[in-house]
Amino acid sequence: MKCAGAAPLLGSLPGELDPGEEALLGAHLATCSACRARQADVEALSGLVRDGLRGAAAKRDFSAFSDGVMARIPASAWRGAPAGPLDRFRELLRRHRVLAAASALVPALAAVALYLYIDRRGGTGPSELSVEVTSEDLATAVLQTSDGPVILVGEGSEGT
Amino acid sequence: MALPDLELVERARGGDPEAFRDLVVRHQRRVYAVALGIVKDRDLAWDVSQDAFVRVHQHLAEFREESSFTTWLHRITARVAIDVLRKERPSRRSDVADVPEPLLREAAPGVLSTALGTDPQETVLRRELSARLTEALGELPDLHRTILVLREMDGLSYEELAERLGIPKGTVMSRLFHARKKMQVLLTGYAGIDAPGGEEAP
Repeated sequence: MKCAGAAPLLGSLPGELDPGEEALLGAHLATCSACRARQADVEALSGLVRDGLRGAAAKRDFSAFSDGVMARIPASAWRGAPAGPLDRFRELLRRHRVLAAASALVPALAAVALYLYIDRRGGTGPSELSVEVTSEDLATAVLQTSDGPVILVGEGSEGT
Repeated sequence: MALPDLELVERARGGDPEAFRDLVVRHQRRVYAVALGIVKDRDLAWDVSQDAFVRVHQHLAEFREESSFTTWLHRITARVAIDVLRKERPSRRSDVADVPEPLLREAAPGVLSTALGTDPQETVLRRELSARLTEALGELPDLHRTILVLREMDGLSYEELAERLGIPKGTVMSRLFHARKKMQVLLTGYAGIDAPGGEEAP
């Protein structure tokens, strides 16, 4: 192998050359001081390239860099990520405003329905409510009155 | 304690913006260094770096943990930088003559390594040349600068370079050789190093 053939092989990473090339290069380097010097230059240059570019990056102020990246990512990209059940429910409400308004009325509608139910049942007589009161050794009792069921909270049953 | 890259990737995939921001902050300078080496303009390198992170975010779901996050990130950075070069300077394909051939002949073997000495950290000359490295890279043709940066910053093998750049392995080796030779000429010129008569084997 001559210098012209050896020079492009200089700076190879370990195992990068095929065994034949590696053997020829080794034999050439053993006898050619100029190519050994070129090899040293390649190694020196490698270090300079890394140091120089990292040094240039180290000098620059990166305080605004990540903000710039985050600003270029649309907010919708984060919403595309897998969400938990609560997130999915919120998203459903956000998309369906009618549904959201209806869901807000659910507690009020339930209260009215309960009131009407009790009122109507109360009007037919206490016996139809089938509320059984067992007060023995209990501190709390439910009484049926003409106005509907009344819950009596007792003082407790200490000592019983 | 700082979370490993893969943990941050997982959280970012799950929709955690701060996890992704942590990844950006952790890798931003190295990404910028690679981009600067390839596109050579500082502002353009800044844009390329940010664009690379945006692309990484877009493709987080496709990231397979067979390679490291750093390797994947640098691959995307190099691709963005090379695309930018092609768009910016489509006419400059190969300009080997940018450094005159007589200068190449004057680059005597061993001059650079001898001048830099054996201590890789502490010579004044090394610091001076490191500071002017981007200037020297900027003098190289795009093709030479790109292949040299990918080799030295990312440690890509001949095969990986061939695949990345779409050229045969032999062309990779030849192009790297010329890129290094030109850099040696430029750097020894900056340093004012006199080239002694080189010894040539047959």
